[in-house]
Amino acid sequence: MQSKGTLKMLSKQELKSESAESWGHGSLPFVLEGMLYQIGSTALSGPPLLPPPPPPPPTPISSTATHPPPPPLHPSNPQSIHRYLLRLSETRNNSSHRLSKKVINMGQLRRIASQGIPDGAGIRSTVWKLLLGYLAPDRSLWSSELAKKRSQYKHFKEELLMNPSEIARRLEKTAVLNNDNGKSESRCVLSRSEITHGEHPLSLGKSSVWNQFFQDSEIIEQIDRDVKRTHPDLHFFSGDSSLAKSNQEALRTILTVFAKLNPGIRYVQGMNEILAPLFYIFKNDPDEEMAACAEADTFFCFVELLSGFRDHFCQQLDNSVVGIRSTITRLSQLLKEHDEELWRHLEITTKVNPQFYAFRWITLLLTQEFNFADSLHIWDTLLSDPEGPQETLLRVCCAMLILIRRRLLAGDFTSILKLLQNYPPTNISHLLYVANKLRGPADLHSNLFCKHRSTQMDAMFSQIILLSTLLAPHPCNQVFDTLHASMAMP
Amino acid sequence: MVLVLALGDLHIPHRAPDLPAKFKSMLVPGKIQHVICTGNLSIKEVHDYLKTLCPDLHITRGEYDEDTRYPETKTLTIGQFKLGLCHGHQVVPWGDLDSLAMLQRQLDVDILVTGHTHQFTAYKHEGGVVINPGSATGAYSNITYDANPSFVLMDIDGLRVVVYVYELIDGEVKVDKIDFKKTTATTHSAH
Repeated sequence: MQSKGTLKMLSKQELKSESAESWGHGSLPFVLEGMLYQIGSTALSGPPLLPPPPPPPPTPISSTATHPPPPPLHPSNPQSIHRYLLRLSETRNNSSHRLSKKVINMGQLRRIASQGIPDGAGIRSTVWKLLLGYLAPDRSLWSSELAKKRSQYKHFKEELLMNPSEIARRLEKTAVLNNDNGKSESRCVLSRSEITHGEHPLSLGKSSVWNQFFQDSEIIEQIDRDVKRTHPDLHFFSGDSSLAKSNQEALRTILTVFAKLNPGIRYVQGMNEILAPLFYIFKNDPDEEMAACAEADTFFCFVELLSGFRDHFCQQLDNSVVGIRSTITRLSQLLKEHDEELWRHLEITTKVNPQFYAFRWITLLLTQEFNFADSLHIWDTLLSDPEGPQETLLRVCCAMLILIRRRLLAGDFTSILKLLQNYPPTNISHLLYVANKLRGPADLHSNLFCKHRSTQMDAMFSQIILLSTLLAPHPCNQVFDTLHASMAMP
Repeated sequence: MVLVLALGDLHIPHRAPDLPAKFKSMLVPGKIQHVICTGNLSIKEVHDYLKTLCPDLHITRGEYDEDTRYPETKTLTIGQFKLGLCHGHQVVPWGDLDSLAMLQRQLDVDILVTGHTHQFTAYKHEGGVVINPGSATGAYSNITYDANPSFVLMDIDGLRVVVYVYELIDGEVKVDKIDFKKTTATTHSAH
């Protein structure tokens, strides 16, 4: 998060050429990301360019009563965007001493992150940690909290990953010393000592360390197999490089510690898929110190993320109110509310049981349906939505169905299943937009299929606000209000 | 942490029908890495059963074994320890520590496992250990009628071996353990 500001001035010409007409669905975020990336990049973009003299008056935006109103940000005025971004980098530089006091407004952050976090800015790691509650909104608490959590994880590892021989050895260190060193006789009958509590390797007792060890070894084997299969196409996770091996080792450790700490749920296939994006993002944090402790951070965030979805992994709860079947039924209901025709076609006409496709969608949080980068975007929305990831996930799944409704309506059982089990590549922003519109009471066509360009503008300004929140930590509430006011256009 | 099961003198089917049920319930596949058997199984079915516990099986020939192809003695290295295996009927007087010590020196092993007497014993001798796991079925022997079923499980961990002795006394499994630490590491490679 300590990125230096490097602002490259895009000339009026360059921006204007990115004319409104050429801003299709996908390209707007890319333009914006380009701008943001240039702001957030460090040495990569070459020697830093000095920002041109700021427009008057450049007083730092603070919570003091008087401050000049920012220039009116009208969508068709690219100059104003430049000036605003300029001012942000200025004020950030002037006020580093305020960093420790900054308390992040979580509501704002959620609203913005749900629009998508730019890939290149390197802030996704921190944003996800904030959204999952691992980092407190108050920045000053971060270092102490992180140190505490990391040492806790280290303690877990040491305690839980010992094999029984070591445990037994530690328990009777004193007894061993008495035995062998004292005897100078070259021959004697070896003394036998009694075993307490059935602590022998073949023990079948539930409390026996050995028995637990052997039961755990089955799980460890399962974890190992799954970790080796995670994302075989990504060099980060698979292959012979030492990086891949160490990452796999980290995944294995995290899952093993989790399984041992949660005897009720242990390890279930699929948890590795939920863990993978978290670890990837945290390990690729541009801040080296954070990246070095990625394993510990990932463990706690994984626990947090899974806490909402635990019941999907518990087989006994399958048919209960909180189990996976009931969640799939909720998805079905949601589809019925918003698109009865499609629902009828799927459930009744072609009898496609939603379990055939939705099971993987829901339990793996859509990591298997899209490519890695897209699933990260979807997770941005899932994690940031104030309604919670469970509700948001259902909305996104419903949106996935609605987006390809024409093909589904035209298909029979086989073709529908084929389509849904290999979901066709789609524009993620549009998908998330549709999912967003499914909030609240159903209001069919006017909401779902409206491709109004004002929403693109919303996205752009949201990105700017995100930038301001995270890189220029100031209580800029008044600026936000003005911005929001200017955004409230028909 | 390598688990090695040492047993022998089962004398199935001549003197005993099967392993005691309590022993059988404890001996499940997947836990043990090596099995060494002193001999006198006596039939192939027992060999197959032991093979299901662990694929790495070492047997030496006892005088009642029906399979004549087992060797008289065997040595193997597990971790830092060299183990020697022999049935023991060849070593006269039977069960005599001095004679067994000669055999141990001859085989140049740290742990010598022999049987034939159907009595569990464990001696420490000149930096090595001589173990007799007894009879796993409690079959009668040439010397005695009263033999408690017993076998031995060794946990080899670096320079230390923990010997767990399993005995069936009055219908209950009693487990004892013996700690032994080797003084020097095996520097010259006989691995």
